[in-house]
Amino acid sequence: MTHLLALVLASPLTPLEHALRHVLDWLHTTLGLSWAWSIVALTVIVRMILVPLTVRQIHSMQNLQRFAPQMKEIQKKYKADKQRQNEELMKFYRENNINPAASCLPMLLQFPVFIALYYTLRGFSSHPPAGDLSWLHFVPSIADATTSFWGGYVLLVVYVGSQMASTLYMSATVDKLQRRLFMLMPLIFVFVIAHFPAGLVLYWMTTNLWTVGQGLITRRLIPKTAAPLGQQKRSSRTPPKEQAEPEAPAQPPRQEKPAAPAPPRKVRRKKRAGRR
Amino acid sequence: MYRVGVAAVWLYRVTLGALFPTTCKYEPSCSQYAIDALRTRGLLRGAALAGWRLLRCNPWSRGGFDPVR
Repeated sequence: MTHLLALVLASPLTPLEHALRHVLDWLHTTLGLSWAWSIVALTVIVRMILVPLTVRQIHSMQNLQRFAPQMKEIQKKYKADKQRQNEELMKFYRENNINPAASCLPMLLQFPVFIALYYTLRGFSSHPPAGDLSWLHFVPSIADATTSFWGGYVLLVVYVGSQMASTLYMSATVDKLQRRLFMLMPLIFVFVIAHFPAGLVLYWMTTNLWTVGQGLITRRLIPKTAAPLGQQKRSSRTPPKEQAEPEAPAQPPRQEKPAAPAPPRKVRRKKRAGRR
Repeated sequence: MYRVGVAAVWLYRVTLGALFPTTCKYEPSCSQYAIDALRTRGLLRGAALAGWRLLRCNPWSRGGFDPVR
């Protein structure tokens, strides 16, 4: 399937492929990086260009999480009717001036680079360029299929882990099922990706790790301010039994502490408290 | 003819769309909007509408309920 799509996209992307090849060549010859490190550098360059977009995305996502309790209420209310649920959520966004985090354009901008890189690496395997194609002693060639050597499996494991972590940071949805689905996605797609050249997995891994790093930094820099709001709403949502537990006073510091998204954690903790 | 476009959207959904999970800020999502636009306006105008929608789906836009009119 991916190959078919790649075929359709081949011709309009040829100029980009050439441009990409030039950038890689420049990184390789002028900066003296190995091909693998050139790919890492290329990824970093692409992500640096996208920084203004993603930073804004992360900010609006944090804003989104402040309103998570209310949104969950809306979701509960219109559980049966998904369409209505979405419309109500969108209305809630508009009323509260929330800008949903995910938008298609920044993600779309990365596709051409990714596909062009796929072609470049395919070209590498048929006409190997001069210079070292290995990476960190455990990847013999970035142009080979990822599963053709043991180091590729290491790359795949890091890819799955980083993809899951970046999903935690970037996916805007508060829908639990959808979120879980997104988390499981890399586990399914790892089988598709296994046939890709290792360099492509390297790109993916780097871009995911960048996402995670960016998420960590922006979260550190901008502390959450709406703790009381979240608490209020939470109490209205939780049954009185749990309210009576000494859970409430411990909440504000907890909300500030975790660098990872707070809402899912809160839910997990509450469940545990309920079991006790 | 519009079916070609709809097929392309589905192809995107099962390949790249699934590989790079994200949720759209609009309702209906960009891909659903594209399908609706292709169905009601035909291949060319539908594709143009879908392209314009994709451009609007950036971090500076508001998002929200925005069906094909």
